[in-house]
Amino acid sequence: MKILAITACTAGIAHTYIAKEKLENAAKELGDHIKVETQGSIGVENELTPEDIREADVILISADIRVSKDRFTGKPVVEIPISMVMKSPKGVISKIHEKMGK
Amino acid sequence: MAVKEILDKRVIDLKMKAVNKDEVIRHLAGLLKKAGYVEDLEGYIKDVYLREEEGITGIGGHVAIPHGKSEFVDKVGIAVGRTEQMVEWESYDEEPVDLFFLFAVPSDSEGAKGHLRLIAELAGKLGNEAIMGKLQAASTYEDLLDAFS
Repeated sequence: MKILAITACTAGIAHTYIAKEKLENAAKELGDHIKVETQGSIGVENELTPEDIREADVILISADIRVSKDRFTGKPVVEIPISMVMKSPKGVISKIHEKMGK
Repeated sequence: MAVKEILDKRVIDLKMKAVNKDEVIRHLAGLLKKAGYVEDLEGYIKDVYLREEEGITGIGGHVAIPHGKSEFVDKVGIAVGRTEQMVEWESYDEEPVDLFFLFAVPSDSEGAKGHLRLIAELAGKLGNEAIMGKLQAASTYEDLLDAFS
């Protein structure tokens, strides 16, 4: 599955980046393709492009602050708190599979 | 710049006697103050506790990453501490903690993007299980550098 994700935490210092790494490793282990955009203290990094979004099966927003969903009109969007990724990254990816029926 | 450039020996103590959360935060914040990262110790500690109230900083695997974005911080830094005994700490895996990374970030960090990037990079590495394994076994400054390299 092609998953796009955004991570963003309150301070934008640490959790944002830990969650990115965790999601990437979990997706890899479960055989998914993932790209993670971080919205943190250093601004937006690894930005999701219109092409990325066009090709994606699902968008996962893992954030404790408001993240704009304007870019994702017409795409399935799953929103979860960042703590779920911190606790169980593989659980999050599996849950997305369940939801998407893939 | 590499991650090791932000690991400053002066603010690393891998043989801490602290036995509770407050002692850990105070000890590491004290090192940051002494080394010139933090301007006002009590003000900084207050901001660290504010962040603690917002959510869990124990990331599992006996590691915690308390952090303060604070007007009392002069420059971006990370204090690293290991306690000789496990300390009670709110954690995602509900386990106690013995390895601490206390982040100091100025509230106005526009001029510090390079260092913030290093902090982000270091944090990212804490999400990697292989690196976390190495950190668990690290007992010297060199071990720490090695885990992050």
